[in-house]
Amino acid sequence: MLNQPKFADDIMTLFARRKALPVHIPVIQPADPFLDMAGEDLRRRIFLTESETGESLCLRPEFTIPVCLRHIETASGTPQRYAYLGQVFRQRRDGENEFYQAGIEDLGDADIAKADAHAIRDASDTLTAVLPGIELHTTLGDQTVFEAVVAALGLPDGWQSRLIHAFGDPVLLDGLLQSLSQASGKVPGIDDNVAALLDSGDEAGLSKLIDRQMVATGYMTNASRTPAEIAHRLVQKARLSNARLDAKALDVLKTFLALDTPMRDAADALAAFSRIAGLDLDAALSIFNARVQALESAGFDLSSTRYRAAFGRPLDYYTGLVFEMSAQGAVLAGGGRFDRLLTLLGAKAAIPSVGFSLWLDRIAAAGAVKSERPSQ
Amino acid sequence: MSVTIALPSKGRMKDDAMAIFARAGLEIVNIGNERSYRGVITGMDGAEVAFLSAGEIARELGNGNIDMGVTGEDLVREDLSAADERVTFCARLGFGHADVVVAVPDVWLDVDTMADLGDVAADFRARHGRRLRIATKYWRLTQQFFSAQHGIQVYRIVESLGATEGAPASGQADIIVDITSTGSTLLANHLKILSDGIILQSEACLVRSRSDVRSASDEVLLDDIVQRVRTIAA
Repeated sequence: MLNQPKFADDIMTLFARRKALPVHIPVIQPADPFLDMAGEDLRRRIFLTESETGESLCLRPEFTIPVCLRHIETASGTPQRYAYLGQVFRQRRDGENEFYQAGIEDLGDADIAKADAHAIRDASDTLTAVLPGIELHTTLGDQTVFEAVVAALGLPDGWQSRLIHAFGDPVLLDGLLQSLSQASGKVPGIDDNVAALLDSGDEAGLSKLIDRQMVATGYMTNASRTPAEIAHRLVQKARLSNARLDAKALDVLKTFLALDTPMRDAADALAAFSRIAGLDLDAALSIFNARVQALESAGFDLSSTRYRAAFGRPLDYYTGLVFEMSAQGAVLAGGGRFDRLLTLLGAKAAIPSVGFSLWLDRIAAAGAVKSERPSQ
Repeated sequence: MSVTIALPSKGRMKDDAMAIFARAGLEIVNIGNERSYRGVITGMDGAEVAFLSAGEIARELGNGNIDMGVTGEDLVREDLSAADERVTFCARLGFGHADVVVAVPDVWLDVDTMADLGDVAADFRARHGRRLRIATKYWRLTQQFFSAQHGIQVYRIVESLGATEGAPASGQADIIVDITSTGSTLLANHLKILSDGIILQSEACLVRSRSDVRSASDEVLLDDIVQRVRTIAA
C-alpha cells in the first residue's frame, strides 16, 4: 500500500471545517456501476476481477459513484456533504497505476449557485493550503449555457440532443456540425411500403408494420427497442432528412464555442453574444451570473479564472458546471455538477449534486518542484 | 541463431498458408510425422516452423515468442494493444477474408449509420433502464471503434463466444459486432450491417514481430521470407 501523502491529514481537517462528513468506501467495488456510468472505455483502465459467484469486481477507480451509491443505500437525508480520501486504481499512460485522491461530494443542495461556488472555493482553498503560494489557473465551463444556445436556436429535438451529447468532445462536435450543415437526403435502406407510410406521416401504421416484421422474424418485441420507438425515430429522421443547419445557426454555434475569456468578463461576453446572435439566454445566464456572484461572496478570487464555452465532459450524467484547476501545466483538481447521476444510480427523487476531486500525486509533485526552486 | 515461423495448425487457413509458402519456394516439411506440430523449411537452415492455432499465433507474436506468423489481421488487432508498435503486417495473403462489422436488427428501420446508433445509445437508458448491449468477442476493436472513433461512450459489451448473431433475436443483446465473410449468416438472422459499420476488412496476413534483440542474420532470413511471399501474394 502506498504511503499517504504528508498533507493528507491537513486536507481532511480542512474538509471537516467545510462541514463535509468523512466516508469510508471499500477498495473492492462491484464493477457494473462504473462501466454503466462511464462506459466500456473504462474497462481497459480499471483492475477487474471476479467473485466466486461470477460477479464482476474492481479496485475502486474513483470515489464519486461509490459515494453516491452509499448515499442511496443508507437513505441519508439531503443536503449532505461527503468527504473522502484514499487510493484509486487506474491504468494510466503517465504516472502510477495507484494514487491518492481526495474530494468533496455535495448532494442535494437546492441552491445551485451557492453549492457550485462552494465546490470551486473548497477545491481552491485546499490547493492553496497544501501548496502555499502556488499559482493556480482555473478553467470553468457550463453545459447549461450551451444547452440554452442550442434550444434558443430553435433546432429540431433530434439535433438538440445530438449536439448536447457531443458537447465536451471537440472532434465529435466538429464532425457533427459539419454533417448537420449538409442535408442527408432520402432516408436510406427502406422499401416502398415503408416509404409510403413515412410520406403520409402514418406513425401508427409504421409501428404496426414493424411489430409484424418482428414477430415474423422471431424477434421479441419487448426485449429491446419497441416498434413504437423505432417508428417514432424514423418519422423524426425523415422530417430532418431534408433539413440542414443553416449558415447563420452554424456561425452562431461556432462563435459561441470559440468564447474563451477571463471570468470577470464572461458575463458581459455572454450578454453581448446573446444580443448579437439575437438569442434569449436569460434563464441560463441568470444561473451563470448568480454563480459568479456566489463565488465572489464566498471570497473566491476570480482573477486567475477563465471561462471557456466549449469546456465540458461528454458523459451523460454531467449537467451544468465543470471546472479544472492546474498549476505548472498539471491538472491538480477537477470538478463539476452531476445532477443526473443519482437518479441514474437508482435514487427515487432527483438530487442536485456537485463535487470535486484532487489528484494528490500531482499535488505532491507540484510541491516538490516548488520546494526545489531557490527562494526569492 | 534461429527464427520461428508460426503457421495455422488446421483447416483451410493451414492449407492456404502452406500453399502460399510452397509457391514462394518455401517447402515446409513436418518433423517426425505428418501430424506433428513442428516443421522445417527445406534448404533454409535456421528457420523453424511451429503449427499453432490462429489465435495463439496473434498472441505469441505480441509476446515476441515467435518471429513471424500467418494469422488473421482481426485476431492480431483484437489481441494486441498498440498492434502496430509490436508487429509489422508484411503481406496480405488473399485468403481468410472476413469483415468485422457492426450489425443491428433489420427491423431497426431508422438506424443506418453509426451516428444513428449514437442517438439510440444516448437515450437507451432513459427508455429501457439499461445501457445498449453489444454482443461480441471483439472487446478491443469494439471499444476503439465506438468510443475512440465515433464518440459513443455509453454502451455495455456482453461477451459472446459463439452464435453471436443470434443474440439480438433472443434478447441477450441489442446489436452485435462480429465477423462475416459472405453476410449470409447475418441475413439469416435478420441483421443488417450499418453503412459505415465496417470496423476492419480482415484477411490472413504474414505478420512479423518487432524485436530489438534479433540478430542481423535472423533479420536477413526473415527479410528473405517476406520478399518471397510478397512476390507470390502480390
